[in-house]
Amino acid sequence: MMLRMLFDKLFTGSAAGSVGLLCLLLIVVLGPMVWRGMGAVVFRETVEFRKMQHAIFGRGSQAEILRETEQVDGLRKPIYDTFDSFAQGIDVDKQLDRVREIYREYGDSLRQRNTPADEFTQLRSTAKTIRDRLTEALETVDQSEAISLTLQVLEMEINFAGEPQLAEFFEIARRYKKTVEGIDPGHRQEYAELLREVRDAMNTLFGPRPDQPKPPLAEHQFGATRWDLVQRDVRFLLYDEQWVQETPGQPLQKKLIPRKQQFAGTELEGWFDQIELDLKSLFRPRLRIYWQYFFDDSTPGHFFGGVGPEILGTLLLTLLAMVVAIPLGIISAAYLVEYGGDTFIIRIIRTCINTLAGVPSIVFGLFGLAFFVILFGRPCILAAAMTLALLVLPVIIRASEEAIRAVPSTYKEASLSLGAGRFRTFMTVILPAAMPGILTGIILSLSRAAGETAPILFTGAVFLGPMPRSLLDSTRALPYGVHGIATGDKVGMTMPHQQYGMVMALIVLVLLLNFLAIGIRWRVSKKLRGY
Amino acid sequence: MNTRFSVSRIGWVGLVIGMLVTTQAVWSAEGGLIVDGSTTVGPLGDAFAEAFKTSHPDIAITVNKTGSGDGAAALIDGRCQIAMMSRFMKDTEFTKAVVNKVFPVAHTIAMDGVCIVLHPSNPIKELTKEQITKIYKGEITNWKELGGSDLAIVAISRDTSSGTYETFHELVINKEKMGPSVEYVSSNPQAHARVKSTPGAIGYIGLGFIDAYVKAIKLDGIMPTRQTIAKGKYPASRPLFLFTNGYPKLGSIVHELCVFHLTEKGQEIIEAKGFIPLTNY
Amino acid sequence: MDIRKPNVTILQPTSGADRVRSEQSKPVAEFSRPLLLSPGQDLLGYVTGHLGRGTLFVITLVSVLAVFLIFWFVIREAIPFLKGESLGQTIARLTEFLTGKNWYPEAHVHPEFGALPAIVGSVYVTAVALVLSVPVGLLCALFLSDMAPFSIRQAIKPVIEILAAIPSVAYGFFAIIVVAPWLQHTFGFSTGANALNAAMILAIMAVPTIISVAEDSLSAIGREIREASYALGATRAETLLKVVIPAAHSGIIAAIILGMMRAIGETMVVWMAAGMASQIPSPWWDLSQSVRPMTATIAQEMGETARGTVHYYALFAIGCVLLIFTFGMNLISEHFMARIHRREGGR
Repeated sequence: MMLRMLFDKLFTGSAAGSVGLLCLLLIVVLGPMVWRGMGAVVFRETVEFRKMQHAIFGRGSQAEILRETEQVDGLRKPIYDTFDSFAQGIDVDKQLDRVREIYREYGDSLRQRNTPADEFTQLRSTAKTIRDRLTEALETVDQSEAISLTLQVLEMEINFAGEPQLAEFFEIARRYKKTVEGIDPGHRQEYAELLREVRDAMNTLFGPRPDQPKPPLAEHQFGATRWDLVQRDVRFLLYDEQWVQETPGQPLQKKLIPRKQQFAGTELEGWFDQIELDLKSLFRPRLRIYWQYFFDDSTPGHFFGGVGPEILGTLLLTLLAMVVAIPLGIISAAYLVEYGGDTFIIRIIRTCINTLAGVPSIVFGLFGLAFFVILFGRPCILAAAMTLALLVLPVIIRASEEAIRAVPSTYKEASLSLGAGRFRTFMTVILPAAMPGILTGIILSLSRAAGETAPILFTGAVFLGPMPRSLLDSTRALPYGVHGIATGDKVGMTMPHQQYGMVMALIVLVLLLNFLAIGIRWRVSKKLRGY
Repeated sequence: MNTRFSVSRIGWVGLVIGMLVTTQAVWSAEGGLIVDGSTTVGPLGDAFAEAFKTSHPDIAITVNKTGSGDGAAALIDGRCQIAMMSRFMKDTEFTKAVVNKVFPVAHTIAMDGVCIVLHPSNPIKELTKEQITKIYKGEITNWKELGGSDLAIVAISRDTSSGTYETFHELVINKEKMGPSVEYVSSNPQAHARVKSTPGAIGYIGLGFIDAYVKAIKLDGIMPTRQTIAKGKYPASRPLFLFTNGYPKLGSIVHELCVFHLTEKGQEIIEAKGFIPLTNY
Repeated sequence: MDIRKPNVTILQPTSGADRVRSEQSKPVAEFSRPLLLSPGQDLLGYVTGHLGRGTLFVITLVSVLAVFLIFWFVIREAIPFLKGESLGQTIARLTEFLTGKNWYPEAHVHPEFGALPAIVGSVYVTAVALVLSVPVGLLCALFLSDMAPFSIRQAIKPVIEILAAIPSVAYGFFAIIVVAPWLQHTFGFSTGANALNAAMILAIMAVPTIISVAEDSLSAIGREIREASYALGATRAETLLKVVIPAAHSGIIAAIILGMMRAIGETMVVWMAAGMASQIPSPWWDLSQSVRPMTATIAQEMGETARGTVHYYALFAIGCVLLIFTFGMNLISEHFMARIHRREGGR
């Protein structure tokens, strides 16, 4: 007896548990997608975001953005300057070229000034000595030698106080001395490589420098547009990610090496700290509710902007599908209820409707490809919408049939007894009474059509493309966009919020439709219980 | 009652006529420029289209990335004006095109290398063609056998219709059939994503998709870089093509798109997307 | 929408009766025609009535037409793949297609079209999904039909509906972005995109179908049978397991079949999460291997396959297999559903 009771309790418990599991699954599935998707709408924008919004969507006041850009650029300038001065010391080839050029130009200018021959020779040979020393200093890999050579060059500066052309020689020497005191020229090559990484990281973080030409693609035109992106990207600037072998035979381990350490003893040592410290004033983060996300177009690749065309395309596809499927569905349902006995033909029709409901969505896609695409000549909105219409037709028929059957037969009898014809009775009595139920079915099938991907894969959806200009163009659509962006389009690696944002938009759209349907049904059932 | 009936009837007739008229309008509407083909060239096509949007705002360019094979088929069927291809047309495709009175002209726009990539945690730095062939045939299944750590190999391939696959198939694994455990993905970024998230993975992607999350390795001792690929030293490098039906009319938008890679902006885009411009070396 | 309005007007029998009475009191000839007519008396009415009925019938036939068109076009595009020069060749191709293990549709020298791994892959993930979803689904259905009070049932129903409403591509997104890395980290699988991942998500998707159909059939079993069992001293578990479930078995089988159809026809989830390796899992119980179901094969390859190639026709042949498969299952489920209806009608 105990055992039986225990088993009973266990059984009840596991049944309740599986319902609990279902609720948990719903939260686990929806939670991260909706929560992280909201990150595409509510986030902390940076000055780069405001610049982007102004440049691409024309939002915000020009004067304010110009002022802000100016302020931020003012703050960024010392950062660039420090970097440049250090980079110049590292990039010797450029300096060598410049040194030779100065020497040549100096010679030319001496000749133009008609300097007397002996003075000319003397000046030029001194300049040549300086040039050679400097070249040697730049080329050597020995630190002390480099320092002593630059010192020798600098000593000669007093002799050439009156020669403005040669001033640059000494400037280069001074700068180079500062660099060489910090680093060993033997390691110059390594520093050059590190600097390249730093420069790349700087470009992602701050965007192109103000003095550089504007990059051709929108995705490279702006720095980190969101505060979370700033925090992610600044890590690449402050730390070097390396994969090192800790134990032989094992996979490599990721290690973060502070760049401050890599550049220890150089001018740049304090530079990284300064950036980290000033990050807020460099980017001016501010809370933003970007509701326009649902309406904005996006730059190619979905790097910036929203999902407007996707939502529009999805609505267009579903509504077109509905325009076809609703009349067909309701009429079919009406026929099945009004005239449908249990005859052979009706049974065949019912089997066909069931079969249609059971056909896998990808087979609908194949059919659309083999039939509608050929019919319309190319994958287009019409072909995709027709395919979707066939997909939802059985859903609408079943829902409408159920709703029509639920109308009490007394209504119909009363109407008929008043002399109304069958058609009139149906249109004015039965259909209105069945409308809430039919509407629920329609909205549910609308949400089904909006979320289907497989039927539109080959029939009219594209991942990137212009807005459709006619029904014979293909269109972007939310579900296909979600697939494209999730299976790793490049934007997924750099801007994950765009990924989550799109899937959130799809889920919200579909769930809104569902809640609407549930709400209607709830009201109807409440009213029914009220009677 | 009768009048009401006729009113509604007129309404219906009006609706039907209205639908017919709109359909007619829809039918006669003209589509813009359609570019179809390789997923490798796709990003270039997108970027070119983006650059054209500012200079020609009235021309809608649709870029469909469906693979080289389909690009060729689309050009032959007249479904697109420009086919992007990461391989040259096959002789069967040429024959078919000529039968259809389409005369394909190739425009080489950039160079690309098919890079062998591993997860960055993988200590392997170099593989030979033979080793890679064995991996993809399923004869080597653990990195241990190649001197790496004890980790099962997950071989990732592009699907068999893509141009990247053909290049890899021809130039790296010498037309051997891949084993059954090879996973197939349908685009370069997808291959990148799979390798990035799988420590035991090996895959192959275009040079433009290499970043810090995946590690390119030497193939037969040669590292895929811009120099080695442009000079043709790297064994798995290839030119990227745009194909048009006949040489496009000079000054037309198709012509402009086909020679866009020669402009400074075009070259910048090619570099920005990680390919190698033709005139640089 | 004015949902309320029609109900209000209709559900007021008094006003209708009033109207009838007033019409009776005024013998004005509002009806120009008598109420009952023979075809001869109202030819127009008779003809329009039948025409109307005919039109409705034709429109209803659209779904029949759609089914036939789908079958016709999918099969038509599959035929060139199978058709050889002789009957023997056709049989050889069919045998290769159904039993071949190698799928190399684009090979240069000797393309092979063995769809067995795809068929096995579909059946494999579906079977695993059912193993996961049937117990949960049945327990939930039992809970809803026999254990939960009305208010809880009302609260649970939307949960199930939302689970069913989430688009498959969103499930696929979840599978590849959230589940795959989790599987890799937690279980140390070499790849997170594998049969287990796909099957788990398919199970979540099949559960709502199973619950709703099973719950319907469980509720259709009347109170009497339950009360009789309780009266004999059986516990709830015993009543449900030994009396109610056997009585509702045809509905439950239909529920399982419908859940199975949902799982086997699903495309996006398996495409994104199953890993796409064209292999038959070996050993068969190792769920961490990648598979490549039929739907995913079509979705993956059709986009990049040129129309009119053998590969294109081969993909349609896979679609054909899928179609025949689901059609067969549909007939079976209909058979069981019909049994429920017969029983309901009989009582």
